[in-house]
Amino acid sequence: MSAQAKPKYVYGVVPKAASLPRGTGIRRSRLHAIEDGELAAIVSDAPEGEIQAGREELLTHARVLERARDRGVVLPMRFGVVMPDEDAVRHELLEGYRDELLLQMRELEGKAELRLRAVYDQDALMKEIVKAHSDIAGLSAALRDRPADAMYYERIELGQKVAAAIEQAAIVDLSAILDALEPLAVAAQVEEPDHEHVAANVSFLVEEAQIPAFDAAVDELGRQNDGRLRFKYTGPLPPYSFVELPAQD
Amino acid sequence: MATTVQRPGGAYVQRSSSGGLYEVIDVILDKGLVIDVFLRVSLVGIELLTVDARIVIASVDTYLRFAEAVNRLEITGTEQSEGLPQLMQDMTEGGAGNKTRGVLEGAKESLFGSSDDDGDSREGSRSRAGSDRRSK
Repeated sequence: MSAQAKPKYVYGVVPKAASLPRGTGIRRSRLHAIEDGELAAIVSDAPEGEIQAGREELLTHARVLERARDRGVVLPMRFGVVMPDEDAVRHELLEGYRDELLLQMRELEGKAELRLRAVYDQDALMKEIVKAHSDIAGLSAALRDRPADAMYYERIELGQKVAAAIEQAAIVDLSAILDALEPLAVAAQVEEPDHEHVAANVSFLVEEAQIPAFDAAVDELGRQNDGRLRFKYTGPLPPYSFVELPAQD
Repeated sequence: MATTVQRPGGAYVQRSSSGGLYEVIDVILDKGLVIDVFLRVSLVGIELLTVDARIVIASVDTYLRFAEAVNRLEITGTEQSEGLPQLMQDMTEGGAGNKTRGVLEGAKESLFGSSDDDGDSREGSRSRAGSDRRSK
């Protein structure tokens, strides 16, 4: 089988003039570019069968795109896109979506994705909730010191009230975070919380030149919420959350 | 090779450079350009994360845990003498951080944490013991 006819794992799309990132691809395969017009796809020969979403594979995908980002604008693919051969990459991706790809490339040039996740410290959050909601404090006082299997429905009721209060707190904290950071960003995308103590999980698109100011604003949020919210701040990343191909039939 | 590079900065925010896979797994699997018919991902091991993430959505079990968390708290909460700085110190020094770590976070850590042994990692996420691993 010739190299052209081999299935290709696709990492991302860059301007044709961009140089290839150093290093190797998934399963240590050689990275190469497939060009069409002003665009180039960064690919490597794909292993047979499905791509295992294992630690090494995910890490490699992220690393290749990270190194590509160091060299300029890159439109990252989702993990696991394998096209049947070189022609498919050229025609069905680069040619088929040329206008969308070029448009997004222009929009994303010089910008990075920064992700911020804020998670409540459970004890601090519960203390706040008890202080702010007298009904919760009252119910809790009534239940305290009862055997664990007694008052089952009252316990559930208390838990429901706490859940509602957490939801309220998260609305307040998310909007404070957005108020502080959105003015420094080009765009923000709020993700659904992936577990119950997440106050905010947001991806921001930020101009490279604004990143130091954005860093400082995140630090300030961290200071203001010390002890109650733990912040995880990741980036700069390729703009995973801000690229999109039109829905396919 | 280290997967996470801590960037220097304030003590209040945990920062990672983009090299940290643990932080970007969600984006890599959910975001980015995709042509559906060419997606060839085997999610063995990953589906555990998704399942775990859904478990935490409102359920009786969740409510009972919340109730317990509040009740446990009330005992110290009524002691008004405990100043705020002391509370904060307790929180950062105490083991509470480990217990309150979310299920997903724990599972993710199992998969991409310090262990290089994949079999071990998967076992960790299956038993959802991620938070325990941390305290070792």
